[in-house]
Amino acid sequence: MQAELDKVYQKARSEIEQAKNIPELLNLKSKYIGKKSLLNKLMKQISSLPKEERPEFGKKLNIAKNKIQELITIRENQIQEIQYKNELKSEAIDVTMPGRKRKIGNLHPITLVMQEIEDIFISMGFDVVEGPDIEDEFHNFDALNTPPDHPARNLSDTFYLDNDILLRTQTSTVQIRTMEKYQPPIKIISPGSCYRNENDATHSPMFHQVEALVVDEGINFVDLRDILNDFVKKMFGDRIQTRFRPHFFPFTEPSAEMDISCVKCFGKGCNLCKGTGWLEMGGAGMVDPNVFEMLKIDPEKYTGYAFGLGIDRIAMVKYNIPDMRMLFENDIRFLKQF
Amino acid sequence: MIISYNWLKEYLDIDVDPQELKDILTYAGIEVEAVDNIGKNLDQIKVGLIKDKIKHPNADKLSICHVDTGQETVQVICGAPNCATDQKIAFAGIGTKLQDMKIKKVKLRGVESFGMICSEKELGISENHDGILELPEDAPVGENLSSYLKLKDTCYDVEITPNRPDLLGMIGVARDLAAIRNKKIILPKIELSTSKDKIQNFLTLENFAPKKCTRYTARLIKNVTIKDSPIWLQKRLLAVGLHPINNVVDVTNFVMLEFGHPLHAFDLANIQDKKIVVRMAKENEKFPALDDETYSLTTEDLVIADAERPIALAGIIGGKNSLITKETKDIVIEAANFLYSNIRKTGNRLKISTDSSYRFERDIADDTADIVSRRAAQLILKTAGGELLEGKLDSYPAPQTPKKVKLRQSRIKKVLTIDLSQRQIAAYLEGLGLKLISQKDDEQIFQIPSFRKDLTREIDLIEEIIRLFGYNNVDTHLRSQKIMDRKRFYLRRKLKRIMVENGFSEIRNWSFGDPADLQKMEIQAEDERWKLAKLKNPLGDSFSVMRSTLIPDLLKNARFNFNHGQKDIKTFELNKAYTRDKEQKLATEKFHLSALLSGNSRPIYWKETNQKIDFYEVKGIVEEIISLFPLQDLKYLQSTENYFQQGQAATIQWQKKKIGELGKIDRKIAGKFDLEQDVFILDLDLEKLFSALKTEVHNFQPIPKYPPVLRDLSFIISKKYEFLKIKKEIASVNKTIKKIVLFDEYQGENIDLDKRSLSFSITFSSDTKTLTDEYINKIIKLIIDRLRSKFDIEMR
Ligand SMILES: [Zn+2]
Repeated sequence: MQAELDKVYQKARSEIEQAKNIPELLNLKSKYIGKKSLLNKLMKQISSLPKEERPEFGKKLNIAKNKIQELITIRENQIQEIQYKNELKSEAIDVTMPGRKRKIGNLHPITLVMQEIEDIFISMGFDVVEGPDIEDEFHNFDALNTPPDHPARNLSDTFYLDNDILLRTQTSTVQIRTMEKYQPPIKIISPGSCYRNENDATHSPMFHQVEALVVDEGINFVDLRDILNDFVKKMFGDRIQTRFRPHFFPFTEPSAEMDISCVKCFGKGCNLCKGTGWLEMGGAGMVDPNVFEMLKIDPEKYTGYAFGLGIDRIAMVKYNIPDMRMLFENDIRFLKQF
Repeated sequence: MIISYNWLKEYLDIDVDPQELKDILTYAGIEVEAVDNIGKNLDQIKVGLIKDKIKHPNADKLSICHVDTGQETVQVICGAPNCATDQKIAFAGIGTKLQDMKIKKVKLRGVESFGMICSEKELGISENHDGILELPEDAPVGENLSSYLKLKDTCYDVEITPNRPDLLGMIGVARDLAAIRNKKIILPKIELSTSKDKIQNFLTLENFAPKKCTRYTARLIKNVTIKDSPIWLQKRLLAVGLHPINNVVDVTNFVMLEFGHPLHAFDLANIQDKKIVVRMAKENEKFPALDDETYSLTTEDLVIADAERPIALAGIIGGKNSLITKETKDIVIEAANFLYSNIRKTGNRLKISTDSSYRFERDIADDTADIVSRRAAQLILKTAGGELLEGKLDSYPAPQTPKKVKLRQSRIKKVLTIDLSQRQIAAYLEGLGLKLISQKDDEQIFQIPSFRKDLTREIDLIEEIIRLFGYNNVDTHLRSQKIMDRKRFYLRRKLKRIMVENGFSEIRNWSFGDPADLQKMEIQAEDERWKLAKLKNPLGDSFSVMRSTLIPDLLKNARFNFNHGQKDIKTFELNKAYTRDKEQKLATEKFHLSALLSGNSRPIYWKETNQKIDFYEVKGIVEEIISLFPLQDLKYLQSTENYFQQGQAATIQWQKKKIGELGKIDRKIAGKFDLEQDVFILDLDLEKLFSALKTEVHNFQPIPKYPPVLRDLSFIISKKYEFLKIKKEIASVNKTIKKIVLFDEYQGENIDLDKRSLSFSITFSSDTKTLTDEYINKIIKLIIDRLRSKFDIEMR
């Protein structure tokens, strides 16, 4: 009987280890250790053994039963693990296929540059003020110290609607409107569209400018230089240098033009800066006392500075755009790059 | 700490009312956290006169009195032993509110009583409840008691910052106020007469801890009478929240509150061997304290002991073994100072905090000890009698030399911007008790009083100057004014961001326009877009005006991009549109947000079939934008513009004004612009939208406490009823209906041609309860009944 038990055990073991799924395993369980199992049959035959061998064999029978149960449990776990792995395999996907994109749009490069400039100046305590595009001669010329016979008042460059109504040629008009309404302290920038009657690769009849005006007690030329230096470094990076050249503007005295070191070659000379190492950034100066007098601001008490920057030009420099006309063509393939 | 207005007045001629004083204190850096008006509830109590008194027929201890109230004579039952004929008393008539009770007419053992004769305790002016308050003979009958006894007071609960222990007494506060108000502080005059006996013959002092007890003084008064304090003293203590105990203890508390320097009184009889020993406690030494706890001490704790045992935990709490009792005859007044860090350490370890430890642990001065000792002696003699022995015991191991601080006028100007003369500077600081020692150009040397240990550097003195000058009295340097219209500026940016997030590319066109475009669009002649701002010298015919609408440029730009192979387009422009009337000098410049959509709604994607842009996609964007503005009763009406395809375009109307439009461009019009695919447009007049933004209040809505319940509802309904009308009808059925979402529209098989099937998902929720299925079923039935009767619906 011992030999028979060994045989049954060996057979059970090999069958359990080869079971392929849970139902098969359950069948094996009832076959070997269930009520009508082979082991149970042997148990019933125990009385046929000599009395002294019975306890020993009973023990062995029990051990075999427990071992078979253990084998079943191990196999059950193995089968479950295999089934889980198969499940995962069937759910596997091609991770190289494209993902579901939410298509986000884009702002126009001029807007991007304009917002960046606005944010830099807002962080320095400036207010942003806007005014009308359609202006009168007073705000565009007279109040800016440019009387009718003044050589700076180039009529052929200006779009007119009526004799004295025109499209503003610079956003300094907003500075005048602000000084009409407010006494100092004034610390504003005015971004917006300006118009000049010219149209070629470097000139657009409509362009964008931001002009700044600061009027208060104790404002001086160093403040002007410092703030422009600070702005340029925030806008283009710490490596950029600035330089001021004497120039002429009717409403500032002294007047200057500001250059920045070339953002591409950092001063060595390249095609962007036409070999000079410098890029022209805009005009600046201390507000002419005549302008204050015209606006009933005490020129003895107050001093101020003003400067203007070309937004389109900054955008072209910043993004390396060769032709100004691209900015207004609105080719989607161009716009989507920003 | 609590400060009393009346009490402060003893040291200072206060020329402001209690309300104003509150602000002055706060601006001086003594922040007032609460104000209590004392005696306000005593307004109805009058001075009365007992005209006669007879025994109550049915009660031994009660009497029946007739009281003259100044207006009438009333009968009152009184149980006090000291009630007598011709006595002036405090009378509370019927209806008077006193503490927590209201006086009513009562019957006591068969006799009626029309009011009450009050004790001091009932009036809240002392703890005395032995009998009624006896008023002097000259008290005027009928007068308000509170004004007669000056019971009214205003008390301020103030926060004293940890650097200013000198403000933990009335005099310290008075000194600051005097300096601010440019007044003189009146310190109490202390004159003492002593007996011939010397204290040294009755008591000895040994200080074994000179580092931890930096000053110890003792004075001895013999033959005092311990009893309740006089009213003026009890009144002071009660006003600042302290309970009167007896005259000697009350005096020590009073003087502590007056000078901010705590003191203690011992019963001489309980001092073994008549010996005061200042020493460190022994390890595990037991100390029975006044709070009925027995503390186990360590060698870190400083004690005041007699020959055998601790009689006080130095600076923190007195001992039970030496307290003042009714039987006490001879008392020792202790006024000392202890190392603040040690007081804090012991207090923290034993978890004891007292008025005394609170002050000592803030590092107070050594030399006020003698002043408060003399002041206490003076007041004890006055209230408890007895005789003061000559001299004092005094251990002062290391007297402090006063500190000196240099102050530059120019530095004040630099830090505070204020120009002060050296005379003004000295006046401010001398008001605070500092002494000017020397001065030369731009430099003054001040000696700092011992009670201002917080003043050690020039900048500390500058802080005092600005505090007295007034933080808000310095001229402003603010160099800015509100010129910017921030609201519109940032709203325009936000609109651009919303468009970008919805997949739109921003375009920017020249502001010039071509009148021929308006003709192509068949814009009606009376439309304001024909009020064109014309240029005299334009670049050419196609740029001859300033554009009055952004739509033509969007259409032309779409053609440009279609021609370059870009068929799926979402573009927008946020810019000005210009119109000009003949009479107008300049022009009207209005910001518009205009957008164009064409082609597929989303980029092609392998998992999905492509969906063409339709009206509702455009409307979704409009709704997202509109939701930023508080526009109620917004209407979408069928548009009549020629350039829109009829039946696929809407005019957006708010308060009877058109604020925008959206829809599909009519195919014929599109053809004139050479557009070969369907194009949708939206156009919003931002000036009109911005004008709706009057208020900026944005109150958050509380998150609902109870979970929402969702139910679907589908029905067949005639096409003649518009969606919005149906939705409004459902919403009006019950207020638990919080959200109604359309999730399906179906027309076709099994449904009549003039009908459609609509499916709604309805969200129910309540702020007060969880909604049951039963309840929801009831509401659903109500909705169905309502829709049946109004729209003749048919359930699916
Ligand atoms: Zn270069």
